Amino acid sequence: MIRHHPDETLLLAYAGGAADEALSLIVAAHMAFCETCRARVRKLETIGGSLLEDLRPVALSDDALDAALAKLDKMLPEKPAPRRAYGASARAGATIKNGTPDVLRPYIGGDLRDARWRRMGPNLSYLPLFRRGPVTARLLRGVPGAATGMHRHAGEEYTLVLRGGFRDVTGDYGPGDLQMMEGDMRHNPVADTSEDCINLAVTTGALKFEDWPHKIVAPLFGF
Amino acid sequence: MNALLGRVASERDRAAFALLFNHFAPRVKAYLLRLGAAPSLADDLAQEALLNLWRKAHLFDPAKASAATWLFTIARNLRIDAIRREKRPELDPEDFLPEAETPADDGLARADDQTRLRKALKELPADQIEVVQLSFFADKPHSQIAHELGIPLGTVKSRLRLAMARLKHALGEGE
Repeated sequence: MIRHHPDETLLLAYAGGAADEALSLIVAAHMAFCETCRARVRKLETIGGSLLEDLRPVALSDDALDAALAKLDKMLPEKPAPRRAYGASARAGATIKNGTPDVLRPYIGGDLRDARWRRMGPNLSYLPLFRRGPVTARLLRGVPGAATGMHRHAGEEYTLVLRGGFRDVTGDYGPGDLQMMEGDMRHNPVADTSEDCINLAVTTGALKFEDWPHKIVAPLFGF
Repeated sequence: MNALLGRVASERDRAAFALLFNHFAPRVKAYLLRLGAAPSLADDLAQEALLNLWRKAHLFDPAKASAATWLFTIARNLRIDAIRREKRPELDPEDFLPEAETPADDGLARADDQTRLRKALKELPADQIEVVQLSFFADKPHSQIAHELGIPLGTVKSRLRLAMARLKHALGEGE
């Protein structure tokens, strides 16, 4: 049961296509867990359809339709697939295998078991996925009971639980739950004690730790 | 439009495709121009969007989306690929994943509701429609939209939430 969903404005940015790759990744990975947000995004996309319908048309070149029709002949005739009723062939969790949403696999190069973790102290490890300007996407892994350390944020921090769970002042988070923290909010997430906690984290600015060891060490690891 | 798309899906009907092309390709081109594509690229991508529709017509479900909405998602993904040169992480549409049923689900996709949605969009206050349009037609995060409008990010988000509430209200969701 998912308890923490993306903010509606984030879903809108994803549906509209304005969200960058990192935010799109974390929203899509959340949607792999969450049928509520799959439905929400589909609804928000209808706004895009309405706006498209109301745009003033701009004519294409004169031969555009003929050119398109000519290409139809060259395209392999796709066999008219038997119509599947929506959801009829739905495989529960089809997009999540071994705790890894399909959308994440190309970034990890496999599933969570294949991830080549880098250690960051005794309790935490991480795997950088990509960085675009100030925006970073990475996986974080904490041993049971690991604490991240009290911090604030230079930008926004989005965290999606993939496995295990964590807790901080804002609540309890389990698989599929998405947390968003903004600059002035401070927290010290602590992993649940039952198993390793693995999260997908997207940050739009550096983390600002409050205690000295973290203050010195975190920047060395690109946090 | 949905019926035409159905004919493309079931009978590979070229005449139906031509009608869809004449209606949607110029709108997709307008969409791409709004997002900064050069005219020749906009032509190419608009054609590509319609060819995609031909290839993937069997995935279209008129109970879940209008033809316009479906084409919007195709055009959106094409332009992210081609103009932004980024991938768009997306669930595989062929997985046919279940979705939560909400009161609007049986409504919003229907043609009369699409009409009501368009009317509701036109009736939004200027400051709200502005941020909604920018969410779809400007390839910018909300923080940058806020910066360019000279208003705080929180104001952009609250305008969007107000707009969403009005749109839902217009569609009888009563939130």
